[in-house]
Amino acid sequence: MAKYPTEPLKCWNKAKELRNKFYENFDKAHEKGGLRVMGSAWAFDAVPLGLGKDVFWVTGEPYGASCAFDKPLSAEFLAATENYGFARDLCAYMRNYWGSIITNKYAFGGDFPKADFAYTQHICCSHAKWYQNACELEGGDVPLYAIDVGAGPYTPFAPKMYEHRVKYVADQLLDSIEWMEKVTGRTYNDELFIEAAWNDVRSTHTWAKICMLNRTIPAPLDEKSIYSLYVFGTLQKSNADFADFYEKDLLPEVQDRVERGIAAVENEQARVMSDTQPPWGFLSIYRYLEKWGVVSIGSLYTFGLEGMWLYDKDKNDFVPRMLPDEKPQSREDACMMLADWHLSKPEYQHYYSPEYKTQMMDAIARNWKLDGIILHYNRGCEGLSVGIAENRLGLLERGHKVLTYEGNMGDEREFDLASVQNRFDIFLESLGLEKPKE
Amino acid sequence: MITVGIDCGAKNTKTVVVKDNKIIGKGTSLTGFDQAAAVETSYNAALKDAGIEASDVGKIGGTGAGMDDIKQADVKVNEVKAMAKAANYYFPNARTVTDVGAEEGRAVKIDENGKVIDFAINEKCAAGAGAFIEAMARALEVDLQEMGPMVLKSDKEIPMNAQCAIFAESEVVGLIHAKTEKQDISKAIHDAMASRIVSMIRRIGVNKDVVMIGGVGLNPGFVDSLKKQLEIDELFIPEDPAYGAAVGAALVAAEEA
Amino acid sequence: MIEKFQEWYDNRHEYAKKWKEKTGGKVVGYFCTYAPEEIFYAFDVLPVRILGSHEPQDVTEPHIFGMFCPFCRDVLAQGLKDRYDYLDGIMLAQSCLHLRQAFTSWELHKNPGWSYFLPMPNHVQSKRSVQFLKEEYKLLIEKLEELTGKKITDDDLKRGIEIMNKARRAMKDIYEFRKQDNPPLTGAEAMYMACANFFTDAREFTEVAEEVKKELESRKLDRDPGKRIMLIGSENDDIEYIKMIETLGDRESVGCTVVVEEHCTTTRSFWTEVDTGIEDPLEAIAQRYVDRTPCPSKDWPDRSRLNTILDFAKDYNVDGAIVIQQKFCDPHECDIPFVRKHLEDNGIPTYFLEFDVTVAAGPFAIRTEAFLETLEAEDDLF
Repeated sequence: MAKYPTEPLKCWNKAKELRNKFYENFDKAHEKGGLRVMGSAWAFDAVPLGLGKDVFWVTGEPYGASCAFDKPLSAEFLAATENYGFARDLCAYMRNYWGSIITNKYAFGGDFPKADFAYTQHICCSHAKWYQNACELEGGDVPLYAIDVGAGPYTPFAPKMYEHRVKYVADQLLDSIEWMEKVTGRTYNDELFIEAAWNDVRSTHTWAKICMLNRTIPAPLDEKSIYSLYVFGTLQKSNADFADFYEKDLLPEVQDRVERGIAAVENEQARVMSDTQPPWGFLSIYRYLEKWGVVSIGSLYTFGLEGMWLYDKDKNDFVPRMLPDEKPQSREDACMMLADWHLSKPEYQHYYSPEYKTQMMDAIARNWKLDGIILHYNRGCEGLSVGIAENRLGLLERGHKVLTYEGNMGDEREFDLASVQNRFDIFLESLGLEKPKE
Repeated sequence: MITVGIDCGAKNTKTVVVKDNKIIGKGTSLTGFDQAAAVETSYNAALKDAGIEASDVGKIGGTGAGMDDIKQADVKVNEVKAMAKAANYYFPNARTVTDVGAEEGRAVKIDENGKVIDFAINEKCAAGAGAFIEAMARALEVDLQEMGPMVLKSDKEIPMNAQCAIFAESEVVGLIHAKTEKQDISKAIHDAMASRIVSMIRRIGVNKDVVMIGGVGLNPGFVDSLKKQLEIDELFIPEDPAYGAAVGAALVAAEEA
Repeated sequence: MIEKFQEWYDNRHEYAKKWKEKTGGKVVGYFCTYAPEEIFYAFDVLPVRILGSHEPQDVTEPHIFGMFCPFCRDVLAQGLKDRYDYLDGIMLAQSCLHLRQAFTSWELHKNPGWSYFLPMPNHVQSKRSVQFLKEEYKLLIEKLEELTGKKITDDDLKRGIEIMNKARRAMKDIYEFRKQDNPPLTGAEAMYMACANFFTDAREFTEVAEEVKKELESRKLDRDPGKRIMLIGSENDDIEYIKMIETLGDRESVGCTVVVEEHCTTTRSFWTEVDTGIEDPLEAIAQRYVDRTPCPSKDWPDRSRLNTILDFAKDYNVDGAIVIQQKFCDPHECDIPFVRKHLEDNGIPTYFLEFDVTVAAGPFAIRTEAFLETLEAEDDLF
């Protein structure tokens, strides 16, 4: 007997169309005389948009994840990368991506479309290196600009937000604009940029508001669906269509689900959260949790990768960061706003200490009313696995039930479904749940 | 009430018969390729040892890697729960339990009722101690039963990398070429493997009393290394440690009857 | 005199403890060579680099997930085992994520009461990084004022610069001797020297290094130098390995001498001096750390290391290069295929080895020997 009513998301088809269009735009950009840019999901993707309305992106991380869904194709990409001489413990997205270039295969069909330039950011050891090597593998004639965001933690994890730190990032953004004009021969349009920058803050703010609604019991969204929705932020948070989709379609629909008591998992009995990217080829583990009546309500990762939040130390709460008071008026303003906005990204804070992440996770666990926490020790991502063992200790110390399992977001050879399900069984039983009958 | 616990492990299949909380029969067989047959053999041996018929058995609990091939089982018990139960049965003061088998190593933190609080299982690339020691015994041309005892004759500390069994194996080959004494190599192997298990136990914390079950508990060299590295004076090991998980499965079956 | 370096390497903790007793000063441990030692000397604080001990250990498992490099685990183990219990503080300048975990776990579990993370810029090729770093140094200085209760002046900073410049220059001079056809010092001795520099007061170190320079003028080693080898890699103080391959010639038909390395334990950390022509000492220090041969995690968009490596190979007339990868070291793993290609395109044969904490002496000896033999064969062609 179902405990709660459930129904599919109405905006699902629209989401699918938007995503397909995005990949097609990149592929066909040159047919319309447009520009192709490659870069990270964490890049300041608003900045290149000042070059014109015909600038299209391919984003490395979601592209790598898409490869992982297709196991035989991914195996081919990973093998090509290893044969080139790269170590197999490197970032799995990156290896899928390089493999696509080496084999000249686009995961969505045809040749891999060569980018006109690369524009990214650098926080983990691999981000700028990813595109440095991608440019090299493309023949060495694709120029790269990377913005260093390793400027220290944001408040409350730093005593204050030092101006020179924000300025360091903003100045690089300004430099990058001059650089882009040089490498593309185009004149930069500040108005287009300011609009894109505003779309960036708008979509990342709205995403956080959507995730807030998952505090409700029963949760209106489960993490498997969240993965299909947060992807727009990862693809291009400054994209006007994506910002509109979050604001005008998704947020009202989830709000409506909350009001009508629509559950994502109809027999919700226990609530958990995860951490880091999932093993993309094995999202069935979330269906497995559902059978037990367990809903994964999200994670610091799905909330904070492309959503902007602030940690409230006094209340031990995690709340959406408010939109800036006003739209920026100039290129310089927009760069300062973006720099400050992005430096507060929750997923940047743990690079400075696992303790910061543990505090945010503890706040989520309490305010989203969780029964347990499942940490994916992700061999495929050095950046998000940093400090994860300390997060486990810190969360245990704060009284949470924690399970860990090892896997890889983009290299299926490092994931063992049967043994992971076995671990889930042991953990869920220890939460007092009963194994569902076959 | 008579219950039976069957542990279909990677190397051996162990069965115990429990009557009113007492072990009254045991049986074992090599697991091999045909797991169902191994289960049958071991089950029959245990019944014979207990002097009872299959019809006398109330409930059967199955556990181990080959759990799904235990057709007789009424209850499937995960390995962690089984070892927690067993440790609590043998030693009520047990708080940390480790089970070192042929292919897998586990560590569990339990409360005074034998309930699982936290656990760790070795990951894919960390070899189980049992199978590795066996392979190394062949490399050293030493009888497996002698591998452990000879460790106690050595006082050498040869550091060996135990992150990866393949890597460790090539280090062993290097030591053989360097004409290192067998007992010293054996000690290095045991120290390295114990260090892997200790790393895993440290994940859940070393809380006394520490109990070890699993066939490797009969290996004095390994036990010695484990104690030293855990910095504990006493490691509690039941009489027939290989049967630990099977005992746990039988006890769970009795509870659920 | 050259033996002094090994003595310091072997007794690093005793040295630091005695230094404290003798001077009453404070000792801060740093985890990566981007730490601005000049500023610590300006405060009369002794900066010591924390390196691992190359022993297998079982204490870091709860703290660092297994996919991170063995070096960072080895470093953290030193802290968890209280081997650095005499430290007054710890600091890390931003570099790779691996080592960062050794630092943050140490900070959480063995905090000596003072710890600091310096956001050393990653975009060292940007004109913005020097100014940013200079501002960061000011924050570090405030933090060091808390530790020492002292204020410093520009003159103190200039003193710190001079101390480090002298030590670095002395090491560079000693490296000159390795260019000789039969170098008067082995690669192992050079590695002892470079690491001893991390563990000792640079002033005392320089005195000894200057003596060693004189000694090397007339020193002759009674050994066949064999093939001239360059080592390239991340953090590597694998002296056991260097000793093993430098003694291959005693046992086998081929031998070798390590004549230069591109490691953060050696040349990457000491090759550049602070430009004393820059008026503002803080800016001069910042410029130095921005300009030094970068860790590959900071070497973008241009891969500037490639030419540095090739220049070393040519200047030291190497026969071949061994590319050493610390298992799981992402920054180097991203560069290795291109480093190898660049060297081989320029006629320098390379061989690749993956290192863990302990070195499998046997197999590594066989592989290195086989590589040396291929170098021999190539000679025959000419």
